[in-house]
Amino acid sequence: MATVVELPRLSDTMEEGVVAKWRVQVGDKVKRGQVIAEIETDKATMEFESFDAGTVLALVAVEGQTLALGAAIAVLGQPGEDANAALAARSSVTVLPAPTPASSSAPAPAPAPVVAPKPVEASAPAPSPTPAPVEPTHIDPNERRIAASPLARRLVREHGLDLAAITGTGPHARIVKADVDRALAEGTGKLAAPGPGPAAAQAADEADAWGRPYVARPSEVIKPSQMRKTIARRMTQAKQDIPHYYLTIAIDMDAAAKLRAEINLAIDSNKVSFNDMIIKAVARSLRDLPDMNTVMVDGQVVRHGDVHVGVAVALDDGLVVPVVRYADQKSLEAIALEVRTLGKRAKAKQLKPNEMSGSTFSVSNLGMFGIDTFSAVINPGESGILAVGAIEPRAVVVDGQLAIRKCMNVTLSGDHRVNDGARGAVWLARVKTYLETPIKLFSDPTPVGSPAAPG
Amino acid sequence: METPEQDAVTVPETLKVAGKDETLHAYREMLRIRRFEETAARAYTRGKISGFLHLYIGQEAIAVGTRMAIESGDRIVTTYRDHGFALAQGCEPNACMAEMFGKKPGLVGGVGGSMHFFDRARGMWGGYAIIGNHVPVAAGHAFASKYTGDGRVTLCVLGDGAVGIGPTHEGMTLAGLWDLPIVFIVENNRYSMGTPLERTLPVEDITLRAPGYGMACDRFTVSDPFQVRDRIGAAVKRAREENQPTLIEVLTYRFRGHSMSDPAKYRGKGELEAHRARDPMEMTGRALRDIHGMTEADLDALDEAIIAEMDGAEQFADEAPQPDPEHRFRNIIIETTEENA
Amino acid sequence: MAILQIREAIREAIREEMVRDERVFLMGEEVGHYEGAYKCSQGLLDQFGPKRIIDTPITETGFAGVGIGAAMCGLRPIIEFMTFNFSAVAFDQIINNAAKIHHMTGGQFSCPIVFRGPNAAAHMLGSTHSQAFDAFYAHIPGLKVVAVATPYDAKGLLKAAIRDPNPVIFFEAELMYSVRGEVPDEEYVLEIGKADIKRAGSDVTLLTWGQAVPTSLRAAELAAEPSDGKRPLSVEVIDMLTLRPLDYAAVLASVRKTNRAVVAYHGWPHGGVGAELSDHIQRHAFDWLDAPVLRVCYEDIPMSYAENLEHLTIPQPEQILAALRQVAYV
Repeated sequence: MATVVELPRLSDTMEEGVVAKWRVQVGDKVKRGQVIAEIETDKATMEFESFDAGTVLALVAVEGQTLALGAAIAVLGQPGEDANAALAARSSVTVLPAPTPASSSAPAPAPAPVVAPKPVEASAPAPSPTPAPVEPTHIDPNERRIAASPLARRLVREHGLDLAAITGTGPHARIVKADVDRALAEGTGKLAAPGPGPAAAQAADEADAWGRPYVARPSEVIKPSQMRKTIARRMTQAKQDIPHYYLTIAIDMDAAAKLRAEINLAIDSNKVSFNDMIIKAVARSLRDLPDMNTVMVDGQVVRHGDVHVGVAVALDDGLVVPVVRYADQKSLEAIALEVRTLGKRAKAKQLKPNEMSGSTFSVSNLGMFGIDTFSAVINPGESGILAVGAIEPRAVVVDGQLAIRKCMNVTLSGDHRVNDGARGAVWLARVKTYLETPIKLFSDPTPVGSPAAPG
Repeated sequence: METPEQDAVTVPETLKVAGKDETLHAYREMLRIRRFEETAARAYTRGKISGFLHLYIGQEAIAVGTRMAIESGDRIVTTYRDHGFALAQGCEPNACMAEMFGKKPGLVGGVGGSMHFFDRARGMWGGYAIIGNHVPVAAGHAFASKYTGDGRVTLCVLGDGAVGIGPTHEGMTLAGLWDLPIVFIVENNRYSMGTPLERTLPVEDITLRAPGYGMACDRFTVSDPFQVRDRIGAAVKRAREENQPTLIEVLTYRFRGHSMSDPAKYRGKGELEAHRARDPMEMTGRALRDIHGMTEADLDALDEAIIAEMDGAEQFADEAPQPDPEHRFRNIIIETTEENA
Repeated sequence: MAILQIREAIREAIREEMVRDERVFLMGEEVGHYEGAYKCSQGLLDQFGPKRIIDTPITETGFAGVGIGAAMCGLRPIIEFMTFNFSAVAFDQIINNAAKIHHMTGGQFSCPIVFRGPNAAAHMLGSTHSQAFDAFYAHIPGLKVVAVATPYDAKGLLKAAIRDPNPVIFFEAELMYSVRGEVPDEEYVLEIGKADIKRAGSDVTLLTWGQAVPTSLRAAELAAEPSDGKRPLSVEVIDMLTLRPLDYAAVLASVRKTNRAVVAYHGWPHGGVGAELSDHIQRHAFDWLDAPVLRVCYEDIPMSYAENLEHLTIPQPEQILAALRQVAYV
C-alpha cells in the first residue's frame, strides 16, 4: 500500500506550513531519511527528511501552497501503485498531540483539507485501444475549495490571474465568466508579484496650488509569509490575553563597557557584546528572583524551573527568537558563541525547531537602530520581555558632579496576571545591579532552588 | 399424442418405396447432423464452446426431409436449435463449428454463436433465439414473396414451447389473414425445455389452432425423412401454387436434454429407450441394409468418413483465428449511399 | 413554396417515395380505409391500392415483425404505430430483430425499415398513452432515431428515413400534426444526423427536439424580451432532429460559443437523451462551461390525466426560461 506523506509538525507553534521547495520529483526513489522537501514553518524553512522509503508516486502539495498540519503532501509507494487510491483511503487527517503547556493557548490546528483523488473520466465507448494513463499530478486542495466554473478556471489560467483574488457572484459564490471578465476589465485578480515596479500610478483627485494633480498609487495586497502570519497571530494573542505593565530604568554601562573591552582583548574570536552581557544579567536575575519567571497556564500560575532566554533576531520579513537554554548556568563566553551561531542560522532560516522553542523570557534589542526606549510585546508562554535601547553617552550626576557616562534604558514588559509592578521593579533593579557591577556576572550561579543575593 | 410402440419397429412404408441413392443421401445427411452435434457436445465439455448449446439429435429427419421438400431459394427460418437445418441446407460444418467456437471464419463471423446461424446463400434465414419472435419475421418474408411475386416459400420452424407466446399468434394471424406463402412447422418434441406439454398446452393437438388462423393443417409422428418430405412437400406446394399457409405439427423426440446443461431427468422411465427404438435415422440405416443390400461395414465406413469430417471441422474451428478486435464495430449501421437509398 | 401541415408533409413524403420506389409500402392500423388515425395517409389507399397501403389488425408485434421480415427481403416498409406507446408491444421486434439483424448475420441481411407515429404526451391521455420513447430507442445500437417538429423537417427527414438502409424510428407528435410551415415545391431530402439551428443566439445554447421545439422557441423569445426587467438573453435554439446519432459537432460548436447549455425535451430525466447530451457536453466542452448543464423535461413521474397535473408535468416555456437564466446567472 502506498504511503501518504503528511505535512510534518516541525515546531511546537507550527499550525500550518508551506512546501517551499520539492527536492524530489515524481518517479524518484526515496530512502528513509532522505531530504525530500524544504518546509517553511512559522519560524524557518526546514529540510524535511522522509520517514518512509519508496518511489515518489505523486507530489500533492504545490510549492508555496499553505497547508494545515497533517495534510497530504506526497505519496510514496511501489512504482505503478495508485496514488489516488492511497489518498482516497485517508478518511481523516492525523490528529496532532496536545500542545505543550507553554503554547497551550495556541488555537487548535485547523483540520487539513481532505484531498480528493483526481477524478478519472469514465472511459468513453470509443474504440481506443488503451485507456489514457492516469498521470499522478499535483492536487491543489486550496484551488478545489474555490468554486469556479470550468470556463472561469480556464480563463483565469489563460490570463494569468489568481482565482483566489477574484470574487465569485454565482451560486455558492461560484466564480463565473462574468467575474473573470470584470476582473480583466478592472485590472484586478492578478497574481501576486505582478512584475517589476509598483502598481500603476495615476493622477490623484487633488491638485496642488498650481493645479498639478498629486500622484495616486493603488494599494497592493501582499500575501503574508508564514512567519508574518505567525507573528500577527501570536502578537494579537499576547495583547489580547496578557495585561502588560511596563517599567523603564536607566543603567550606567560604563563598567560593563570597560569589562567588555578587557574580555574582548583577552579572546580572539566570539567577541562578547553588550547584548550577551544583558542576556547573562537577565538570566542571573531570573535565577535569583524566580517569581519573575512565571506564566499563567489555564488559570494556574506556573513558575518555570529553567531559565531559557530568547533573543529576538530581526529578519527582512519578520523576526525569530532563538533560545539560549540554561542561560543562567552558561558563561558569558558560551552565551556569546551561542547567540552568534543562532543569529547566523536565524538569518539563513536554518534554525531547528528546538532552537526556537521553550524560552521562558526574552530580550529584544533595538539599540543598534538608535532607539533609546521602547516597549516590547511578551511572547505568549514567556514571563516577560526586556526591551533594550541604545547605549549612549549621557550627562548624569555622579556624587553631586555632572559626569558623562555610557547609559542605556531598558524597559521590562511584565505580565500583570502573575506579578505586579513592585516585583518587576525589584527584578529590574537586580538586572541593573548586575550590569553596573558586571563582575558579579562571573560569580558562581546560585544553586537551583536557593535564591540569594548576588555576591 | 401418438405413443411409440416398442414392438412396432418395422421399416416404414415411405422408406420402403424410396430409392437407394436418395435413401443413402438422407441417411448421410442425418448422420452428418448427428455426428456434428456429438462433436460439438464433446467440444462443449472441453470448454471450446460456451453459451448455450441446444442439440437436435433425434430430430434430424425433419430438417433433412424438409430440405428434400423445398427448392433452392426457399427460406428456412428456425429457432435457436438450428444446427440441423443449417447442415441440411448445406452450410459448411467448418463454418458452423467455427461459429460455435466464436471464430473469425464462423458462419456469421463469430458474432452469433450456436443460436444465431444465418447463411443467406443456402436459404438458411436464421437462427432466432427469442422464442416465437421469428414467426412474424417469417411471415414478413412470405409477405415479401407475395408482394414481389418471387415464387419463394418460407418455412417457419418453431417448437411446441413457442405456440403459447404472443408473436406466434400474431404472425400466424397475419399469415392466415393475408394468405401468405408460408409453412409453419411445429417440431413437437414433447418438452418445452423441461416442462412436458401437458403442463404447457391447454389443448395438446396444436393443429386445432389452424382453423382459427384460416389455415390448412397436418399432424404426424416422424417415422423417416421421406415421410417428412412428402407431408411437408404438400404444404410447400400449397404455399407456392395457392399462396396458402399451412400449420404442420411434427411429433418428434430429442434424445438429449434441452441444452448441454440439462440432464433431462423429467423424462419418464423407458421413454427415451422407446423413442430410440424408432429413431428415424436408425430406420433409414436399416432400410439401407435390409432393402438396398448395404452391409454393416458399408455403413461403418460411411460413419467413419463423417466422423473424420466432423473431427476435421472441430480442428478447423480450434485452429481458426478469433475475430479481429475491430470486427465488433462492423455491421451495426450501414453507410447511406446513392446505391442503397 | 407551399404551406403544409406536418401531417400533409408526412403524407407527401410517403407519396413521393412510393411513387419513386416500388418497394416502399405503408402498413399499420387504420392506415388504409380509415386514412390514418391522424389522417397522415389520407388519399394514399386510393392512389396506391391495398397491396401497398395495408391495414392491419391490432397486432403490433405481428406487423412490426412482418415489416422486418419484408425489409430483410429487400422491401422498404413504413410501419405506422398509431402511437409509439403501442410500440411497447413490438419492442422485442424492434430491438431484437430490426436493430440486430445486420450485425447478428455478419452483414448478410439488412433491415431498411421506418417505424413512425406520434410520440410523447398529447392532451389528457393518461400515463400509458403519454410516454416519450426517445430514450428507449436512442439507447439501442443499430437504430437511427429521428424526431421532427416542422413540416419542412418532417418531409425532408421522412424521405431520408425511407431511403435509409437502416431501421429508423421516426417520432412525430399528435398535437403537432396541424402545425403549418413552408415546404419547398421541389423535391428535397434532409440528412439524418444533422441538427438545425432554429434560432441563433450567443448567451445560452438551448438543445431541444420534438414537441419541446415550439416551447423552447417561446422560452427564447421570453428570454430575449423579458417583461420582468431582467437582463435579456440571446438564446441559440438547436433542434437536434436526430437523437441517434446525435449531432455532437453542432452541439459543441454552439456550447463553446455560449459557454452554457440547457436541454429541453419531452421525456423523463432519468437516463434520458438529455442526460446523454449533458454527459457529452461535460466531457468534451468542460473547459468552456460557465455553468452546469441543466435539463428541463418531464417530472420523474407517470403522466396524470387531470389537466392541471399534466400541465405541471410537461415542460413549459417559463420553466425553460428559468433554466436559461439560471445558467446565465441572470
